[in-house]
Amino acid sequence: MKIVWGILVVVLLAVGGCGDTEQEHSQTAKRTDGKLTVLTVNYPLAYFADRLGGEHVAASYPGPIDRDPAFWNPSADDVSAFQAADLVLLNGATYAKWVPKVTLPSSKLVNTSAELSDRYITVMDAETHAHGPGGEHAHAGTAFTTWLDLTMAMAQARAIRDAFTAARPAQAEFFAAQYKDLTRDLVDLDHRLTTLTSGQDDRPLVASHPVYQYFARRYDLNLEAVMWEPSEVPGGRQWEELRRLLEQHPAEWMIWEGEPAGESVSRLETLGVQSLVVDPCATPPATGDFLDVMEANVAALAAAFQD
Amino acid sequence: MRDILYLAWRYLMRHRVLTVILVVAITLIVFLPVGLRVLVMQSEQELTTRAAATPLILGQKGSPLELALVTLYFAADTPPSLPYAECERVANDRLATAIPMHLRFRARQQPIIGTSLDYFDLRGLDVAEGRQLAVLGDCVVGATAARKLGVTVGDHVISSPENVFDIAGVYPLKMPVVGVLARNHTPDDDAVFVDLKTTWVIEGLGHGHQDMSRPEAAAGVLKREGSTVIANASVVQYNEITARNMDSFHFHGDLGVFPIQAVIAVPHDEKSSALLQGRYLGDEERVQVIRPLEVMTELLDTVLTVQTYVVTAVVIVGLATLATAILVIVLSLRLRRAEIATMNRIGGARTRVLAILTAEVVVVVGLGVLAAAGLTGLTAAYGSLIIKALILA
Repeated sequence: MKIVWGILVVVLLAVGGCGDTEQEHSQTAKRTDGKLTVLTVNYPLAYFADRLGGEHVAASYPGPIDRDPAFWNPSADDVSAFQAADLVLLNGATYAKWVPKVTLPSSKLVNTSAELSDRYITVMDAETHAHGPGGEHAHAGTAFTTWLDLTMAMAQARAIRDAFTAARPAQAEFFAAQYKDLTRDLVDLDHRLTTLTSGQDDRPLVASHPVYQYFARRYDLNLEAVMWEPSEVPGGRQWEELRRLLEQHPAEWMIWEGEPAGESVSRLETLGVQSLVVDPCATPPATGDFLDVMEANVAALAAAFQD
Repeated sequence: MRDILYLAWRYLMRHRVLTVILVVAITLIVFLPVGLRVLVMQSEQELTTRAAATPLILGQKGSPLELALVTLYFAADTPPSLPYAECERVANDRLATAIPMHLRFRARQQPIIGTSLDYFDLRGLDVAEGRQLAVLGDCVVGATAARKLGVTVGDHVISSPENVFDIAGVYPLKMPVVGVLARNHTPDDDAVFVDLKTTWVIEGLGHGHQDMSRPEAAAGVLKREGSTVIANASVVQYNEITARNMDSFHFHGDLGVFPIQAVIAVPHDEKSSALLQGRYLGDEERVQVIRPLEVMTELLDTVLTVQTYVVTAVVIVGLATLATAILVIVLSLRLRRAEIATMNRIGGARTRVLAILTAEVVVVVGLGVLAAAGLTGLTAAYGSLIIKALILA
């Protein structure tokens, strides 16, 4: 009976013509045999990804090197590049403010600090406002320069290793070996920093910018921050704020994100404050790599703590 | 042969009413069961192909059929919401790719679908013109939606208020069309796609407004308490997300509690699928997991049961009609005895006279079958529209 039905329908359709049929596509993962393409929201993650992935991964930070990646706003083309990557490594801790405002494939996103969320530092003096029936609400901030606590950096590297292993299980052993190699370097740096800063928690320091929260917590630094930019000479109001701060917090060293302007350094010296650079290295350095910059940071701190 | 066909044709033209009635009867006898069969086959294809490409759907406990229909076809009423954390739960379990679906809003008659880019991969949707979603507020439209809304890349789509009498309800959001999808002959052609977060902005859970710390916003400030600014209801909120005001857009509260209507889960393998379904079996669980193919197959089983009854009835009526048609032909032959005798007397051989009568019947049956074929073709071409009207509307 079914055969009769089939023949009848086929014949009639052949005579009468058929309409369009639905073309349903099933999901097919677009995997190439080439490297795993990885884009990151800052340079440290790109460095970790590069160290961990070796020849199996093409990792990069696509943002401009002269802008803070935390506050950079990518263009639609930049977003398209992130969408096309195999993995997108996020720093988490509200870093890269643009991420919630763009469309990225959630299956490719890796929040490298997700497991560290209980160690996030909340910025307490964030502005709060309220309007409408929803009542008061706070834009409470979260400190985001997580990698300056090198134990957190290691945890972030571990998250990257796990993501790589999930994406390329065949290279699991390679990623594990690379992770071991990277953590050896980071443990060494962490050990030197803890040794250097041990017992120095009563020594007041000033940071030019509030980006050292995790660094200060990990290495027991007595650190207060102002809102200065290295390339700009602070105005009168900023100097006055610093003077008031120094009365309460008599720091002899100011930690800068980048090389400070000569005039700023000179005026600080008149206040009895020396300058040193601890570069968070959020963007690729002009020379060397992340470890070189961290080595320079350790050397700069050594000058401050051994004087 | 031509003379036989000529005489047969002339006879049929002479008795047009009788001929038309016979052709219509034959057409219906053939078309009704076959057309119904075609419609059911199309229903099966329409309902199962998309369901088969959608492994699992999670939603608030309720009607599985409604959840399947709204998630697959954007039809049926909006189901109860579940928190976005359920989508994150699936993703965090690493058993499946989790695709959130926000299905509450419309732009005129076209559904606005808030989802992630993984949905486009799942459905094989390609951008034919423009680009993919990139920033908050962007929308890409299906081919049919673009035609119905009269928009193309560079135009804007405005979300429709849910209730014109609810002036304090959802504000319309003006969204730039950044891409038009290639037609793929599925309900996706009718939809307007936005990022999930954009639907939350439409819902009022995220918004952008003037910087309350700036002097020009002073009129909107109710009071200041230290670093806290209390704004009054006159604060200017943006109804369009642009590059200039993008930074002011923000969400209040935990995104995990924000609403979605469904989660499409694409398990990595059968084992992951089984494990994932097992996690939602508890009595305390407020979320249900459905296998759309099973739900739609159940629906089709019901349709097929009805079809069996209908086809049986149609066949019985058809047989009765066929018997009546045969009776009409036999009776007309008896009425034409004198005509047949005249043809014999003027030299017409019995075989040629029989050939003329046979040709008349063949032409009538042939016309009936051709008409049935035409109707079947139309059914095949527009069956999906009929199905949408009958089942999905």
